Amino acid sequence: MKLTLLGIAAAVALATPALAYDGTNCKAPGNCWEPKPDYPETVEGSKYDPQHDPAEVSKQGDSLAAMDERNQWRIWNMKQTGDFVYDVNKIPDYEEGSAPPSQ
Amino acid sequence: MKMTLRKAMLRASPLTLLSAVVVGTLGLQPAQANDKLIELAEDPANWVMPGRDYDERNYSVMDEINKENVGSLRPAWSFSTGVLHGHEGTPLVVDGKMYVHTPFPNTVFALDLDDPGRILWQNKPQQDPTARTVACCDVVNRGLAYWPGDDDMGPLIFRTQLDGHIAALDAETGKTVWMMENADIRVGATLTIAPYIIRDMVIVGSSGAELGVRGYVTAYDVKTGEKRWRAYATGPDEELLLAEDFNEPNPHYGQFNLGTETWEGDAWKIGGGTNWGWYAYDPDEDMFYYGSGNPSPWNETMRPGDNKWTMAIWGRDAETGEAKFAYQKTPHDEWDYAGVNVMMLSEQEDAEGNTRKLLTHPDRNGIIYTLDRTNGDLISADKMDDTVNWVKEVQLDTGLPVRDPEFGTRMDHKARDICPGAMGYHNQGHDSYDPDRKLFMLGINHICMDWEPFMLPYRAGQYFVGATLNMYPGPKGDRQNGLGLGQIKAYNAISGEMAWEKMERFAVWGGTMATAGGLTFYGTLDGFIKARDSDTGELLWKYKLPSGVVGHPMTYTHDDRQYVAIYYGVGGWAGVGLVFDLEDPTAGLGAVGAFRRLQEFTQMGGGVMVFSLDGESPYTDDVNLGEYADDDEA
Repeated sequence: MKLTLLGIAAAVALATPALAYDGTNCKAPGNCWEPKPDYPETVEGSKYDPQHDPAEVSKQGDSLAAMDERNQWRIWNMKQTGDFVYDVNKIPDYEEGSAPPSQ
Repeated sequence: MKMTLRKAMLRASPLTLLSAVVVGTLGLQPAQANDKLIELAEDPANWVMPGRDYDERNYSVMDEINKENVGSLRPAWSFSTGVLHGHEGTPLVVDGKMYVHTPFPNTVFALDLDDPGRILWQNKPQQDPTARTVACCDVVNRGLAYWPGDDDMGPLIFRTQLDGHIAALDAETGKTVWMMENADIRVGATLTIAPYIIRDMVIVGSSGAELGVRGYVTAYDVKTGEKRWRAYATGPDEELLLAEDFNEPNPHYGQFNLGTETWEGDAWKIGGGTNWGWYAYDPDEDMFYYGSGNPSPWNETMRPGDNKWTMAIWGRDAETGEAKFAYQKTPHDEWDYAGVNVMMLSEQEDAEGNTRKLLTHPDRNGIIYTLDRTNGDLISADKMDDTVNWVKEVQLDTGLPVRDPEFGTRMDHKARDICPGAMGYHNQGHDSYDPDRKLFMLGINHICMDWEPFMLPYRAGQYFVGATLNMYPGPKGDRQNGLGLGQIKAYNAISGEMAWEKMERFAVWGGTMATAGGLTFYGTLDGFIKARDSDTGELLWKYKLPSGVVGHPMTYTHDDRQYVAIYYGVGGWAGVGLVFDLEDPTAGLGAVGAFRRLQEFTQMGGGVMVFSLDGESPYTDDVNLGEYADDDEA
């Protein structure tokens, strides 16, 4: 009986690596993820679907674009006047949503 | 006993010669640019960047303070920054001045080393206090950068601010020269990383993976603040900024289109991978090195895939920002092993006897990686402690970590006894490398955890973590009493052996510094600066500081006298329970429970403590120095 149990335990132990995600079975170089046993290959439509709101997900990109643009105005103004002004609203000709005039 | 500047330079020369020989044999061009900063760094009177020089070794050739006399090390002078919270990083010393930075509101002070009682200037920015609410792990900042100036412009000090700004300050007057927006706190993006100067560029990282911020690194022109390039950690190849021959020497690491293909849908847009750690730079290769952080959210089930290129060691061309190589240490992270840790450069013979230009990197995941920094070849990947259990081994030929499924995390399951915990076996501490002993002095954590994820939505500007953690001492610590959370070890990257290892009461969070005097210095969370024998690890000296330490020690010589300086002021992730008065052990992303005993040993503080032999200073040289006189103009 003991032997049988041990045998089963050993068989399970041996079988585990083949079933479970251990990171060594690659679909392609640099792409070795696998779903864990009983977990979905894709989460969309599953009970683990994150259901990301596209409007939320795009906020970071929009914010970076706006910051870069304000920075361009600051640099443009410094090159024009020799003085650094942080507050873009105090920069003559500043227009939100547009790039500074080309120099 | 004192070591003159000339003597120190002479001592440095064999090393310089050696590296010249190495450079010669490898047929590389000598450094063309950055000469001024490199020259300044060679002078022991200066400490011009975090890590001291581009090799980021935190190593000094000075030996005035050494094993024989360290027992007579005493405080020479001190300076309170006037703010509490975690004081990470280390001060800079250039041209007879010490530049001190602080946590939020990120004031910068310049002190006169001839009379340190005098604050030469201070620059205190006005910041939106809302920034504090989106800082995951205390309002820390890791340091300043120095640009030596040129014919047109004087030297500049660079500062990052928690509210996302990068600012250039006149090093003489402290006046703000320019200030640009790099990160937007409204989407949860902040800055805690120290800026880094390469030639006429300042490199700026990013923070906010706990709020779903997609990581990026940006280079700005030092003089104007103009953006030169920006490279992301996830997404399309053109935004990752990959070189045409990206990973050609190691195609099995993965090459193109993986920034999107290893994610499901648009999840990469909120995929983390921020870099808030440290940089290193090799002027001969013109490449700089850093690590990208963890993917978002912590809930692994919500982001299937390898989640490239989070958790990767990057080698990027400094001029263009293009990546020459990247190696992902932790594919599909399940433990928040943010891969941003220190990069230390060395030239050593590998096991086959070939001299290699190396990069050594103790990661959060418990593995110390050593790569050939010219091409990304994996040389060694050793466990920093045998209790690491998420991974059985790292295969050097495939580069893949062989995961132990028992210690993975997943939805509807509470994983237990995972080592390391999310705080890692190594965190933000900037360690050191002793080139004579060929040893890396590693400040290590000994913390494990239980982890259970939960589903949550993404809302820009709100936390996007999705896991509940309990953290506690590792198997070699005292779990019953919540102590024994740290280790310090001396590691050889080629043999993989530890020359010595010592336990510490708390995590060695701030990093280490080694010197030619055979000493390894470091600060502890319970409020000591300690000096150990670099050969044996024996504790030779310590001093009780006003508060715990989360920064790294530095050293400089002034008027032919060697000083050792260190910030005190406990905080950072380890200190969040104490700093924000939290009691729930799962609060502070699980750190509160792990460090529940910390408050019995220290309270908050903030300042610099400077040491010398017998406490000698300008004020012991002349007790009347700095006294008020009738003709005092100030």
